[in-house]
Amino acid sequence: MKFFIDDLPVLFPYPRIYPEQYAYMCDLKKTLDVGGHCVLEMPSGTGKTVSLLSLIVAYQQHYPEHRKLIYCSRTMSEIEKALAELKALMKHRATELGHEEEFRGLGLTSRKNLCLHPSVKREKSGTVVDARCRSLTAGFVKEKKERGEDVDLCVYHDNLDLLEPHNLVPPGVFTLDGILRYGEEHKQCPYFSVRRMMPYCNIIIYSYHYLLDPKIAERVSRELSKDCIVVFDEAHNIDNVCIESLSIDISEDVLRRATRGASNLERKIEDMKSTDAEKLQNEYSKLVEGLQQAEQAREEDQFISNPVLPDDLLKEAVPGNIRRAEHFISFLKRFIEYLKTRMKVTHTISETPPSFLTHLKDLTYIERKPLRFCAERLTSLVRTLELINIEDYQPLQEIATFATLVATYEKGFVLILEPFESEAATVPNPILHFTCLDAAIAIKPVFDRFSSVIITSGTLSPLEMYPKMLGFTAVMQESYSMTLARRSFLPMIVTRGSDQAQVSSSFGIRNDPGVVRNYGTLVTEFSRVTPDGVVVFFPSYLYMESIISMWQGMGILDQIWNYKLILVETPDAQESSLALETYRTACCNGRGAILFCVARGKVSEGIDFDHHYGRAVLCIGVPFQYTESRILKARLEFLRENYRIRENDFLSFDAMRHAAQCLGRVLRGKDDYGVMVLADRRFERKRPQLPKWINQAMLDSETNLSTDMAVSNAKNFLRTMAQPFKSKDQEGISTWSLADIERHEAKRKIEEDRMMRQEHTNGHKMDAVTSSAFEAVDDEYDDDIDQDMMMLDA
Amino acid sequence: MASNIGIDRRDEDEVCPVCKSSRYLNPNMRFLINPECYHKMCESCVDRIFSSGPSSCPVAGCRKTLRKNRFRAQTFEDIGVEREVDIRRRVMHILNRREEEFDGKRAYDDFLEQREEIIANLVSRSDVAKTEAQLQKYATENMASIRTNQKIEEQEATSFHARISLEQEEARMRRQLAREELENERREMHAGREDFLSRLAAGTSSDAASIARESHKVQLRKSSARHSEQDRLRQKQAALRGSELKRGTNLSSVENAGPSDTGLIKGLRKIKTPEPEKPYDPFMGYLPEKRDYVTLQQSYPSQYLDRLRKSTQAAAGGFDLREYYSRTLMEAFAGLGCFVEEEIAERDANRSASAANEGAAMAAVDL
Repeated sequence: MKFFIDDLPVLFPYPRIYPEQYAYMCDLKKTLDVGGHCVLEMPSGTGKTVSLLSLIVAYQQHYPEHRKLIYCSRTMSEIEKALAELKALMKHRATELGHEEEFRGLGLTSRKNLCLHPSVKREKSGTVVDARCRSLTAGFVKEKKERGEDVDLCVYHDNLDLLEPHNLVPPGVFTLDGILRYGEEHKQCPYFSVRRMMPYCNIIIYSYHYLLDPKIAERVSRELSKDCIVVFDEAHNIDNVCIESLSIDISEDVLRRATRGASNLERKIEDMKSTDAEKLQNEYSKLVEGLQQAEQAREEDQFISNPVLPDDLLKEAVPGNIRRAEHFISFLKRFIEYLKTRMKVTHTISETPPSFLTHLKDLTYIERKPLRFCAERLTSLVRTLELINIEDYQPLQEIATFATLVATYEKGFVLILEPFESEAATVPNPILHFTCLDAAIAIKPVFDRFSSVIITSGTLSPLEMYPKMLGFTAVMQESYSMTLARRSFLPMIVTRGSDQAQVSSSFGIRNDPGVVRNYGTLVTEFSRVTPDGVVVFFPSYLYMESIISMWQGMGILDQIWNYKLILVETPDAQESSLALETYRTACCNGRGAILFCVARGKVSEGIDFDHHYGRAVLCIGVPFQYTESRILKARLEFLRENYRIRENDFLSFDAMRHAAQCLGRVLRGKDDYGVMVLADRRFERKRPQLPKWINQAMLDSETNLSTDMAVSNAKNFLRTMAQPFKSKDQEGISTWSLADIERHEAKRKIEEDRMMRQEHTNGHKMDAVTSSAFEAVDDEYDDDIDQDMMMLDA
Repeated sequence: MASNIGIDRRDEDEVCPVCKSSRYLNPNMRFLINPECYHKMCESCVDRIFSSGPSSCPVAGCRKTLRKNRFRAQTFEDIGVEREVDIRRRVMHILNRREEEFDGKRAYDDFLEQREEIIANLVSRSDVAKTEAQLQKYATENMASIRTNQKIEEQEATSFHARISLEQEEARMRRQLAREELENERREMHAGREDFLSRLAAGTSSDAASIARESHKVQLRKSSARHSEQDRLRQKQAALRGSELKRGTNLSSVENAGPSDTGLIKGLRKIKTPEPEKPYDPFMGYLPEKRDYVTLQQSYPSQYLDRLRKSTQAAAGGFDLREYYSRTLMEAFAGLGCFVEEEIAERDANRSASAANEGAAMAAVDL
């Protein structure tokens, strides 16, 4: 279907369009025209990705700038889905236009997923694959081969050099599977093909980290031009991604292995001194001159890149006390030993980077400046030594990264040493957390560099929180509601059990037998009335375990077993995926199953329970974070002092976005239906924090229910939903054809005209009124503004 | 800073190399080292062997004489690092030049590398005697600058600690303020609601809506007032902090002086001693006593003046002929009726004191 937004022809790959998709595209176009960042919340399962892609592709092809699109998503499967959508879209465009457009769309993921080398691809861990790949593809290895030495090379990588550098893959869209197949056919490395083709792509689809994590972004995304359109999809967790990209945890094991790495390096240096002292001398003289930056052509095979953001890099020569390789090794050793002594402390410590640095200087005479150059110096050393088995130096690299970060940033970071894993533990297992508290630090270069950044997800409410936390101004903030021909999902808040006692997962009463029993009956009842799959979310693994064992004691599990198979998510990914598989099978054959999972776990973030896989979702308790965590406390304090976000506001915002994410799991399209239950007394007051589309569908009468009322409501709802439903019923209401769009446009135009005219006449009237009356009006108006401002403040 | 280093409880099978008692049997065992030889032994061994005065190290092959008072607990796990840090402490104490004292970054970097080199020599026990001698020489030559630099460092440390503790105190205050604020807000909201309810109960059904609206308004006004109050407080605090910081920086800027180049360290910045300030000059460089053309002589032959020279009256009245000479000469050369350009050209051409002298004499005669 083809339609126009203003003067822009948009080709949409489906014959019908949802009204919210149309509104979304209109707003998106406005943002792109104006230039600036925007935050858009669109209900899950309403075709966000396809509307985004079809608008931006149309925009790219229609305007002469051909702005590149960088589409960032969260997981592999989402990237793959987006690529498939893009492929379908381009096919549709080709048939509509009658010719293939010159267009490239590629997706990038880690080497592990894109490797073809027969032995390397069998490795399980990503870091090992990276290291082995590097040892087969690095520049110096190739030089060695040319010198006639016997070293292994990757055939797939070498074949790339035989091709034209700007035409490694033909134009078109390749899914990840597609590029793997193409690579296998033409015997070329898919990973490096994509990496090298990135400057020539119209659309790049990859994970957030390639843009946010400075360690990767510097290498991968450096060449992207300023006018790129950047989209962060599923961005409700983007602040956490930003924070994680600048945070490091160091355990004792890492330190031990780092020591070993340092001694290995020392040995290597000795070897090199006796065999090839010239190379070391060359490196040294380069460092003396401060030439390394110019020479460092940030190659693909670089060991590590600098972990700090490009703005914070020091453009100077390496300080004199780590210029010589052996001095640098002794420097590293001292630093590691210092960290080891810190690890022996038996109480929790939280301190700022400056105080850490002072203590470090008191004890070991390590100054800040050389510490800042640690990562850079290590990279240079590793390159000089031409190390092959790089994975052994992984811990050393971590330490160097930590050193550079701690010496670079003063504000917005905190060091927390936790000697014990939990409160009750007696065996120390110390971990040094170096935590970033400010999400704005990592994302700032992105906002500064690119003119349009679009942040979008199914659950972003409250919208104003994100610009505040990430430190940008949005030209557009919009939340779309869901147009439905029938009420296809039923959100309810259950605050009481059948015995009218309030239910809540708050710490004081969460283990009361009464509350546990009430939750138990809620789950039992819903497993009785709901066909097929039921998903239950708990606030934490700990609570889930305790409540399940209590249910076992009360015989509640036995009752559930009469209706459904019970499956439980665990922290272990493989066990969970097995449970999920079994759950799917059970939903397809038989009476269905019930899945117990955790609101912050893997299931809540990216696994869809469409159609019969999820007919009801229960959220037991508000999924607050563990508030006793030191890191969270530090972050809350930081938010309060710097962004004036109160502790409780942030905690409740965070809890509600996770709850909304859980609820969104069951509704994956307009023909889907499902019951959503929020079972906690506290949800009643937090209702305004739910996304608009959920909030609108919730009736006031359904915000304070007891279990039996909720069950009878759900029963009625499911019965109605079970009636046959033809897609024709939706037409004109929740799906639009071209005619509908035109009608809508015409209506909007008439409306606009009317508004204009009204304003016009109003203006005339205003002139006519006497001055005293005018003042009175003015006063009134002022008062209103006052109120509005107060509302904002409040 | 928190640095109490606890006992590592994991190495339970640690054994004292001297008496072979293990931590398993004696959980309170502490290990000590002596910076003479860095051999580890347990506290009871130290007591046993060294209580009666200095003795030689019990470790086989090491014949160093140790004293009890030098024994101390070990900071780092790795003895090599421990030793290196000890050496470093000593060297850094002596070679404590600061970056400001060097000509440029390059010179400072060279110094840093040289220092590392010295430390590495001492650690690896190569060229110890020579390096030690160098160090000793440097220390005696540059006593003053070492002292001043140490003082600066100390000052920096104390001011840093003061700032940190101030910041912590402030953070604590802010935290408390936030908590109080939350508490107040809650209490006010509660009070407001109660007030609203009681008024509703007292009033008639007709004005219920207006009461509700009013109470809502009151709440909003209160909250906005509170916010503006907070803002004001915060600004005040920020201003205060700024002034504190400024004072801190003032403290740390201390004049440093010392000998410029020393044998050991290259590239030190030449230290210029500032010239002493000149006395105040009201004539901006013009000296009334200075004469370009003449030198004042003791006496000039003149009949007219002879009379005065002899007159006791004039002498008693304090009349000084020299005053008179100088005034007259001044008037004669005051530039009346002469052209400066010509004069200058002339002066440049034949600039000689004798000519001037003659001129002066002639002038005097003419008078």
